[in-house]
Amino acid sequence: MKIAEQTITFNKQELIINNQRSIFWEETKSLILSDLHLGKAAHFRKHGIAIPMDTSLADLNRLEDLIGHYQPRQVIVVGDLVHAGVNQEVLLLEAFRLKYPHLLLHLVKGNHDRLSSQMSERFGIHHHEEIFEHNGILFKHHPADAADHSSFRISGHIHPGVSIIIPPKRHLRLPCFLVAEHQIILPAFSKFTGLDSNDMSAAYQCYAITDDLIFPVGSF
Amino acid sequence: MKQKLADSEGFRIVNNYFESKGNVPFSFQTKAWEKYAQGYSGLIIAPTGFGKTFSLFMAVLIDFLNQPEQYQKGLKLLWITPLRSLAKDLARAMQAAIDDIGLDWVVQVRNGDTDPKIKVQQTRSMPDILLVTPESLHLLLAQKQRDKYFKNLQCVTVDEWHELMGNKRGVMVELALSFLKAYYKKVRIWGITATIGNLDEAMEVLLPTAAKRIQIVAKEKKKIEIKPIYPSKVELLPWAGHLGGNLADQVVPIILQSKSTILFTNTRSQSEMWYQLLLQVHPDFAGQIALHHSSIDAQLREWIEDNLSTGKLKAVVSTSSLDLGVDFKPVDTVIQIGSSKGVARFMQRAGRSGHSPFETSTIYFVPTHSLELIEAAALKEAVKTQTIENRDPMVQTFDVLVQFMVTIALGGGFRSEELHKIVADTHAFKYMDQEEWQWCMYFITAGGKIGKRYEEFHKVIQNEEGLWVIKNRRLALLHRLNIGAIVGDAMMRVKFLSGGYIGMIEEYFISKLKKGERFILAGRILELVMVKEMTVFVKNSSGKAITPSWLGGRLPLSSNLSHFLRKKLAEATDAPPAEKELHFLAPLIEKQAALSAVPGEDEFLVEHIKTREGHHLFFYPLEGRLIHEVMAALVAYRISKLYPISFSMAMNDYGFELYSDKEILLNQTQLEAVLSRKNLMEDVVSSINSAEMASRKFRDIAVISGLVVQNYPGTQQNNKSLQASSGIIFRVLMEHDPSNLLLKQAFSEVFNQQLEEYRLVKAFDRINQSKIRYTFVEEYTPLSFPIKVDSLRQSLSSEALIERIQRMEKINAQKKKSRK
Repeated sequence: MKIAEQTITFNKQELIINNQRSIFWEETKSLILSDLHLGKAAHFRKHGIAIPMDTSLADLNRLEDLIGHYQPRQVIVVGDLVHAGVNQEVLLLEAFRLKYPHLLLHLVKGNHDRLSSQMSERFGIHHHEEIFEHNGILFKHHPADAADHSSFRISGHIHPGVSIIIPPKRHLRLPCFLVAEHQIILPAFSKFTGLDSNDMSAAYQCYAITDDLIFPVGSF
Repeated sequence: MKQKLADSEGFRIVNNYFESKGNVPFSFQTKAWEKYAQGYSGLIIAPTGFGKTFSLFMAVLIDFLNQPEQYQKGLKLLWITPLRSLAKDLARAMQAAIDDIGLDWVVQVRNGDTDPKIKVQQTRSMPDILLVTPESLHLLLAQKQRDKYFKNLQCVTVDEWHELMGNKRGVMVELALSFLKAYYKKVRIWGITATIGNLDEAMEVLLPTAAKRIQIVAKEKKKIEIKPIYPSKVELLPWAGHLGGNLADQVVPIILQSKSTILFTNTRSQSEMWYQLLLQVHPDFAGQIALHHSSIDAQLREWIEDNLSTGKLKAVVSTSSLDLGVDFKPVDTVIQIGSSKGVARFMQRAGRSGHSPFETSTIYFVPTHSLELIEAAALKEAVKTQTIENRDPMVQTFDVLVQFMVTIALGGGFRSEELHKIVADTHAFKYMDQEEWQWCMYFITAGGKIGKRYEEFHKVIQNEEGLWVIKNRRLALLHRLNIGAIVGDAMMRVKFLSGGYIGMIEEYFISKLKKGERFILAGRILELVMVKEMTVFVKNSSGKAITPSWLGGRLPLSSNLSHFLRKKLAEATDAPPAEKELHFLAPLIEKQAALSAVPGEDEFLVEHIKTREGHHLFFYPLEGRLIHEVMAALVAYRISKLYPISFSMAMNDYGFELYSDKEILLNQTQLEAVLSRKNLMEDVVSSINSAEMASRKFRDIAVISGLVVQNYPGTQQNNKSLQASSGIIFRVLMEHDPSNLLLKQAFSEVFNQQLEEYRLVKAFDRINQSKIRYTFVEEYTPLSFPIKVDSLRQSLSSEALIERIQRMEKINAQKKKSRK
């Protein structure tokens, strides 16, 4: 796994955004990500669609690599940790937890999250119903209007993507971070997800990511 | 035997029926009746309008009249047709004949348009003759009582077999036939087809195991007359696409003189353009002409078809949407705008006029640039020699197979070895090995990849008797809703804000439009108001508007037509040329010869043209746009291996261009090496992004195999999620399950269909045997100009996209630095 990074300033804090679909916040030693959708492949299989299981495993392995790289104190998941109910793939989380017993795991509830409080406890998750506030930044699953200047927010949910044109005539859709003055929207952490490349207000600077790169779009 | 049938009671009754209508049976009809009575299966080859329906339908009637004791209550004749619209009229004609003869048989239709009440009635008691589409037949096989339906079946007829054979619906037919044949051994299977290049193969695919089979060819031929429309003068540098418009003046009088006319165009956007053009040139046409293409609302299309049959419409501008289907009796004139791209399609379109068997079909050919007149000459010769394209059957289409297996599981279940044998008996799967069958079983029973069994996966399960079945009712419903091999494009519905549905448009086109912008659809100028989910809301507007380009609309030139084009181009240099069309083009050909050269039949022309803009190489394989796309990428790749240079590429059906702002250094020896047959496919693979192409092919495969669900009960599924998800699934499988058979199928479809490996290899063989003429010119030649001005320009760089982004980023970073 190759980690490529860009440093941005948000609410006077330095944040590192990377091509592995996460943010590292140095000052609070937080690794921030959204839309992991654990158990999505299993959910598909439950409905008779044959998708191999390794997607969730691969996503969790990537998370472990990131934890090894940044050594965070806590992981903040901004919603949609799991895709549907509890299934075999979701139980992979248990093994993951055992590897990092001291790591704090915060989850802001997303529209997909249907874990019972019992399960949350079993996985050692700090559950936040709507909003989690930490050192002046709000974590919230659904993004607000980019023009809302009342707070600084980090969100997910929409799986932002951007369509870039490579001259002379080639379209390429890539996942991206959307960064505005008061709001950041994270790309979906899971690779088994689609992209929404419709909703891009001019207020956002967009950072596209590939397996090897992260780069600002709109500057060329 | 022969004597016997003609003396039989049944024959006499049917013969009397023909006489009462003032007809005499054609000899191919009586031959079909005899062979049917002798227990044969077979294939009937007859042109449209010669009573091919009656050749088989009457065969069954005669046999029944002669030995009624052999026939029991229920379904006797199953009639498969590719088109729903054909079924209704056929059923009516059959029922009328039955009533006239005085039998009590009932003919019914069963397809997506059939009233659910009638469907329920049919499941209780089947009619004597049932007309179905391949999809509705599979739906019948998915029902638990399927055995009840077919137990007294005598004959299955596949109508318009040539339309089905080359695609996945044809594979659906093969599988269904093999299944019926296995369980109802006495069933005779017959096919009806128009003339195609590979009739023997057509029979082999339809009847791979029949012990007694025969081909019956009608001697009767349809006469076709081709009348080109000549422009007033030859333009030496033909502007592609523009000439057609000028010829509208000459088209109007033809329409006025005719009772009713169909104008065939090649693309939906061209049809929209011609519809507007005719109204401009002759405003009185308002209300008398209509526009018909596949993106227009089905109800509106039906209305147009009805009015065309009753003679109320003077003319209809259409695309291939009117190629097939019911006869429009009042239509006496057909006009083809631009190249028809193939001999079979051209003949089929011509056949839409002059219906009665001995009438001549007349087709006017309107070239869209002067060079297309060569095509008129080529078509004439192809029609004369009856050199018609092959329809290549598809093989190893595992997406259709896994769908079929689930269908059979649903309709009462199967045993693996039994079904394996049935599948292996088809032409499509005769090379399937044991491992591949196991993989398919695994796909529907265990999910995911070989060697892993997922607890939560349950689709097809084994019951107490050891049969593979589906028990989950939701899965059963989902599967029924998604049976079929036609995958819809990502299309959006266009509706008036005030209500009323206009048609469909590609999502891609709408995503480029802003609110308030105008576009043309169904001959109307519409203003975009808003987009909500998969519906585009519009209001009527006027003024300038954009004609949408539908992505799927461009047909490639068939290899048969290519062959005749090269021949005619070579003949154009004869003095004086034999044909009128070529004679007309003489000034253009002379200029081409004077500036550069006109390639002879054993020559291959490459022009090196230097202009103020830069440097161009033009190649003229005349193999059609798709092949040229691949060739252009390949040649660019091979040149760039000689020394660093990058090209932009353009192509049309006649040739392709490589353009660079740098000087192109290439001598005759190097050129010959670049065009070499050696390492062909290896270099092709290096020069294109085959994974990206396969990902596009995978979209259909994912839907057909059930990996992506197209229709959910009760909701109109947003196609956006479908598109994204087949792409995602492709990626996931590439990463986690690269040996997945469906992935392999996607790649082989790229090689067989997109790259047309076979044709590509043949083209290079031909080029390698030709003398390569390499000319250096300082201005555009008549051959090069249409490629230059009117073609899809694109770059198929061999560089990986990521590398290019990196390069762009570097340039970007340097710019930033230099600004500081």
